[in-house]
Amino acid sequence: MKKFALAILCAAISTSAFAGKEEDQQIKVRQSAYTFMAWNVGKIKAQVIDRPEAYDKNQVIAAANAIAAVANSGLSVLFGPGTDQGTGWKKTRLKPEFFKQPDEVRKLATDFNREANELAKVAQGGNVGDIKAQFGKLGEACKACHDKFRVKED
Amino acid sequence: MNFPSIKITVWDFPLRLFHWLLVLSVAFAIISGELGGNLMDWHERAGLLILGLLAFRLLWGFIGTANARFCSFFPTLNRLRAYLDGEWRGYGHNPLGALSVIALLVILVGVTVTGLFANDDIASHGPLFDLVTKHTSDWMSGWHDRFYTMLLALVILHLLAIAWYAIFKKQNLVLPMLTGKKRVEHDEAATPVMSSAWSVALRFILAGAISVAVVWSVANGGQPFVEQSAPPPAVVTPEW
Repeated sequence: MKKFALAILCAAISTSAFAGKEEDQQIKVRQSAYTFMAWNVGKIKAQVIDRPEAYDKNQVIAAANAIAAVANSGLSVLFGPGTDQGTGWKKTRLKPEFFKQPDEVRKLATDFNREANELAKVAQGGNVGDIKAQFGKLGEACKACHDKFRVKED
Repeated sequence: MNFPSIKITVWDFPLRLFHWLLVLSVAFAIISGELGGNLMDWHERAGLLILGLLAFRLLWGFIGTANARFCSFFPTLNRLRAYLDGEWRGYGHNPLGALSVIALLVILVGVTVTGLFANDDIASHGPLFDLVTKHTSDWMSGWHDRFYTMLLALVILHLLAIAWYAIFKKQNLVLPMLTGKKRVEHDEAATPVMSSAWSVALRFILAGAISVAVVWSVANGGQPFVEQSAPPPAVVTPEW
């Protein structure tokens, strides 16, 4: 009897301790991915919009390539079922609607990838005006998904 | 008792200028904020203009002409009670309308000040973002959004009230806000004493100058009240 109770207790502890472990890991990695992209977005903004005189073609190319690489890395894998709940580096802000509108998600994700790839291409060209315009389009693609599938900051 | 009807100046020129610039800049801030992308730069500029306008309005509430002063229209319980009993006499903001004016100003200050510290997790942040932690900025962004929702509700209420007056009370509230003039029944007791044009102009310049100074300071990250970190020395990063 004692052994049985102990087994139940162990099972209870282990399931609660490991519940959502995979989900939390996905959330953590995707938060890292977006944070890393934001770092690169910030570098492009600083050089193309805030201080165009500091524009460095190679640095902007490197940043744009980094964004495109993350965008193309198959981020959808990190949005597994149930990952609207859980905590990575911090609590996720993914809305449950994300899993109910796969077509809309695909459209927004495809838009984002297209704009990110286009930015990498335009960065190679080295025309600050073109980079700035494409940078704006990328920002709009970010915003479209934030507005739809991201819980507002509390 | 019938008084001869006369035209009086109900809204002074600075107040009208404030009102319509506020309408334009808030409309522009809403559109640019909703569209995002590169328009966020313009959203930030609109925010700074709104900040200046609000600073001006708050000052004008103390040193402006009679109908602009908070003490003349602040909706106290006594005034509200008198208004609801039909005993209110005046030509400026009526006590119920004053409630809405105060609410609009408070919410506009809220949405503007939180916006100075906010960030959108994409590429934009307010001019005072560097003064707070990212965590605080995120919290401010949440409130920026909430104040925005409240602002939309109040703007709709404001427009509905204007429509209500036009349809049911046959009163055009928009025209006096454009011309400043309003036809009223002459009633000496309720006619505000207008100060001399020179005095008004002087106070207008003073309030305007202070507002410009506030905007300049905020646009420059809080100068000269916040010590600005010198531009970081060029760091030589290794080639990897």
